[in-house]
Amino acid sequence: MLSVNNLVTSYGLIKALKGVSLEAKKGAVTCILGPNGAGKTTLMFTLAGILSPDAGTVNLLEQNLTGLGAPKILRKGLALVPENRLVFADLSVYENLLAGAFTQDRAMAGQVSEDIEKMYDRFPILKARHDQPAGNLSGGEQQMLALARALMSRPSILLMDEPSVGLSPLIVDEIFAIIKQLNEDGMTILLVEQNATKALQVADYFYLLDQGKVTFSGTPDQLKDDDIIKRAYLGGG
Amino acid sequence: MDMLQTSIDGLMVGSTYALLGLSFALVFGILRRINLAFGACLLFGASVAIYLEPILGWGAWGLFLVTIVGVALASVYVERLCFAPHSKRHGAVTAMVASFAVWMQLDEISSQLLPQRTHAFQGIEMPNFWWGEIFVRGDQLLHFVIALVSIVVLYLLLYKTRLGLLIRATADSPETAHLLGARVPWLGFIIFLLAGILGGLAAFMILSADGYVTPLFGLWSTFKGLIAMIIGGVGSLMGAVIGGLILGLVETHAGAVLGAEFRDMVTFGMVFLVLIIRPGGLMGVKIYRTDTLAQERV
Repeated sequence: MLSVNNLVTSYGLIKALKGVSLEAKKGAVTCILGPNGAGKTTLMFTLAGILSPDAGTVNLLEQNLTGLGAPKILRKGLALVPENRLVFADLSVYENLLAGAFTQDRAMAGQVSEDIEKMYDRFPILKARHDQPAGNLSGGEQQMLALARALMSRPSILLMDEPSVGLSPLIVDEIFAIIKQLNEDGMTILLVEQNATKALQVADYFYLLDQGKVTFSGTPDQLKDDDIIKRAYLGGG
Repeated sequence: MDMLQTSIDGLMVGSTYALLGLSFALVFGILRRINLAFGACLLFGASVAIYLEPILGWGAWGLFLVTIVGVALASVYVERLCFAPHSKRHGAVTAMVASFAVWMQLDEISSQLLPQRTHAFQGIEMPNFWWGEIFVRGDQLLHFVIALVSIVVLYLLLYKTRLGLLIRATADSPETAHLLGARVPWLGFIIFLLAGILGGLAAFMILSADGYVTPLFGLWSTFKGLIAMIIGGVGSLMGAVIGGLILGLVETHAGAVLGAEFRDMVTFGMVFLVLIIRPGGLMGVKIYRTDTLAQERV
């Protein structure tokens, strides 16, 4: 569904991505693991169009996304839930959700309120807090809001950048349960995570990113059999 | 009864201060910028209006229209010249200093347009009336209503429309707004245009109530606007309105009780008190937010 080919992104002279290729299959959860500074967030930003690549291509469902700006990429069906949520702190929960639907045509106004109702059904806590400023929400609630906001654009693939970062273990469990549920409802997900143990519970395929390169790719079973990865990411050995 | 009369006079004056404060609060609340040339824009608009008045011959309503258009134009000129090139977070001081330079420029143009020290400024003719023992000036009542209506319109625009939501989202986090395809292009331009229109309204009301304009009007209105914003709450729109009304009330009461020479002393005393007791203003908002922006974190 999403295929990334030889992607190169740099900050000035420093190459953060040195030719990354990967594939996210339809209906699957694909997970990118990697240490700090491996280029995971750079990859997410490049895919979402916040950064533009120096070389390589990004294709989603036969559409070429390479080098398009963030709003266009969102319109073509790729939505990113950024790391640390980045909700609009001064806007209410409801307004945050509305802001997520800005790429929808005005003619779909009826569908937007329908979509918001769907989000309230999926995340009842957002309904309870719909008129509160998003900045007053807890970390986990903000993560749900950011996720719901991304879903408001009706994406065909959802990118999530470290959804577990800065959250307590119980909340992380909840977030991953939601990710699993979303996937079972048919959503294709590309996930960046440092918490490999958690990622193993939901992901169908893994890539390991290190220093801007893919150094491993395989199924969860292959991942568990790899000694180096086991030691580095899953603890013990 | 005198107390009530003074309070009503104060509210009338305060409603125009509220508009001045609102202009500052709009620019500061959304763009986190201070436009020192704001008063100069007002003086410029008024000067153009008086200069064109004998040529156009449209009377008081002509003054009204030209003042607003003139201030709005000057306001967006300042934005393009001083604020648009320094829209990044660290450009706040640079932009403020640049606006100081343009203040001088606009002041100079205004004094070229109006070489004399004092010029008459015609108001809209309205019948005055007595309400029991309370005297209400017709034009001031009209101004009060206009101020109220513009405050309500601004509120509806910002909080009830799609554009308003876009503006607030962009102000909250430009990067996230961009990611969602919700970033407003020309945000600074729109805000300065709105601030200019509000400022133009305020300029017309104040000048036509006074009946004349002097070159000091620019600095005077910058002060009043800043004070209204500081009292009410830096960057809070509601706060600026309340701050303006309080400023008007305190000024007129101080003038009535202590005499005109104590008016500014009491006003500035109040500003000091607010800054000491409640530095964020009465309805202070958190100015320095801790959220780091996505782009900075990469």
